[in-house]
Amino acid sequence: MARYTSDWHRLLLRFAWDGLSGQRGRSALTMLGMAIGTASVVAVVSIGLVGRGYVVGLIEGVGANLVLAYGTGEGVNPEEVDFDDVEVIREQVDGISALAPVLSTSRTLSIGGQPWPVTVLGVTPDYADVRNIVVTEGRFVTAREDANADKVAVLSPELALRMFGGDPPPDATIRLFDLRFRVVGVVREGVQSASAVGSSEISDLTAIVPFSTLRNVAGLRFLDVLYMRAESPQAVAGVVAGVKRVLAARHRSLGSFRIESLQRYLSLARQVSDAITLVLIAIAGVSLVVGGIGIMNIMLVTVTERTRDIGIRLALGARRRDILTQFLLEAPILSLAGGLLGVLVGAGGPLYVGILYDVPVPVSPASVAVAFGVSLAVGIFFGLYPARKAANMNIVDSLVYE
Amino acid sequence: MPAATPSRPRIELELHDVYKTFEMGGEPISALRGVDLQVIEGEFIAIMGPSGSGKSTLLHILGLVDSEYQGTYDLGGERVSGRSTDELAPIRNQEIGFVFQAFFLLPHLSILENAALPALYARDRAPDECLAEARTRLEQMGLGHRLDHKPHEISIGQRQRAAIARALINDPRVILADEPTGALDSKTSQEILEIFNDLHRQGATILMVTHDQEVAAAAERNVYVRDGQIHV
Ligand SMILES: Nc1ncnc2c1ncn2[C@@H]1O[C@H](COP(=O)(O)OP(=O)(O)OP(=O)(O)O)[C@@H](O)[C@H]1O
Ligand SMILES: [Mg+2]
Repeated sequence: MARYTSDWHRLLLRFAWDGLSGQRGRSALTMLGMAIGTASVVAVVSIGLVGRGYVVGLIEGVGANLVLAYGTGEGVNPEEVDFDDVEVIREQVDGISALAPVLSTSRTLSIGGQPWPVTVLGVTPDYADVRNIVVTEGRFVTAREDANADKVAVLSPELALRMFGGDPPPDATIRLFDLRFRVVGVVREGVQSASAVGSSEISDLTAIVPFSTLRNVAGLRFLDVLYMRAESPQAVAGVVAGVKRVLAARHRSLGSFRIESLQRYLSLARQVSDAITLVLIAIAGVSLVVGGIGIMNIMLVTVTERTRDIGIRLALGARRRDILTQFLLEAPILSLAGGLLGVLVGAGGPLYVGILYDVPVPVSPASVAVAFGVSLAVGIFFGLYPARKAANMNIVDSLVYE
Repeated sequence: MPAATPSRPRIELELHDVYKTFEMGGEPISALRGVDLQVIEGEFIAIMGPSGSGKSTLLHILGLVDSEYQGTYDLGGERVSGRSTDELAPIRNQEIGFVFQAFFLLPHLSILENAALPALYARDRAPDECLAEARTRLEQMGLGHRLDHKPHEISIGQRQRAAIARALINDPRVILADEPTGALDSKTSQEILEIFNDLHRQGATILMVTHDQEVAAAAERNVYVRDGQIHV
């Protein structure tokens, strides 16, 4: 008897299939319900991943592995990061691949006869790299200009627009501190979100000049902010600790300093987007359950309709177990077929949109697996009750059933 | 099964004091009221009686289709009353061939698959073998050209033949037929009856419900059911 077990199972599968194809329209509609459920689960996870990737990209766009230190100006005796701090940090803190101290002051600039407040930043050439600055016109300040304290400036797009009505001409100059600075380029933030993640030192109207130039002409003694890039994401925590150690040793307290990395924002953003994705999955999951109830409904109708059929099979010598298996197979066939269709739509849709708009759209294999698993489970769970009902029928009653 | 001694004929079926009550909207309906019946191996019995007298009920119990009744039932010397549906499934499948009052062919399956069904549920042969066996039997019954048709695509006489082929596929010792000629014209009835006569000659035990005196005359013994009781 055991010899034919696999044949036998194939046969039961065949009976289940016959049962389903005997009512194609109804089977297709039920399958559609499951398909919508699984498709929404897979699509929602993709949407969640896109959103998460977008937010994380925004934060990382401010600068990869960025650590920043600045004085908040708060407290009784506020202290600031000074030039010597930078040197000590450079010497004593491991894991830093680039340092970018930033000086900042503001000046009123007369443009077209009108006074405009302009932020003037003094930066080293590394700043462009550390802060993901994008040069849209000309170039950034060079190491040589910084060493010579040359009077050159790069402008924010808004300032360039206001002063020159667009890109600055080749011989353009800007007057700051009663000195004439040659305009060598236009730059912008790598991402628009920089100010949303903490405070950006680049405002709409900003002129960026070499660090030593601004130090000399403005007589600044403290940094606005010190940017550091850690060698790797793993090195970030060590750099933060090292910077805290140096500042604590060289100042009265850490009270008025802020030393932080983007890690905090990153993990926060990830948590928030994961939570949103979970909520969306739960909502999509409801449609899976609704699909499952649809299956149960259809199976119950099917069992009722096939009462006589079941009675005949039992009368011919089928065991209750055979009937149970046959009907228990029908529901998962429906739900799995629906699940497959749903996965195709749920994964194919986002992928197609991704190809259409040339953006990477992630499809999580885990979500595909889970959607499949859940639709199988839903099929078995909601198929169980109708199948038991079928298997436990009284033979005579089901034979005389009209 | 050990062969019966020729001197003393073996009792194939034996009912003793069988009662069957249906519930109908809370009202009990007595379908069988103290039935005693002995059938000897190889007998051909016609069961007669008015409509509603309990003939089908009796046949269902004999066919192990109905296992909820009072009284005892021995089949081939074995007590089968009181056993569960699943315990009885192999006996129903192997030792009894049931031809139902309304054919009861499965509408979604082909004639071939219908006829093979009891063999498939026996699970002692590969499905292909079962189908091959069913094909042979159907061809013998002159249905070779209708194998892939669905039941509703063939004539009533052909359906009855297919139902008989299905009942016989596992070579049962006992054949129960509920008005096998009831829906047929006299010519087809005669042909169907001939099939049962053949089976009888081959040694099968046959119980056939019929309203037709001519059909009943072909049997060795007639049993009358009236108001749920047997009158010989
Ligand atoms: N499933 C059932 N539920 C309730 N009552 C039933 C059921 N089956 C049969 N009966 C009743 O039991 C009695 C006997 O029915 P049965 O079908 O055995 O009669 P029968 O002799 O076969 O009649 P017929 O010649 O019309 O086929 C009838 O009164 C019938 O109404
Ligand atoms: Mg009847």
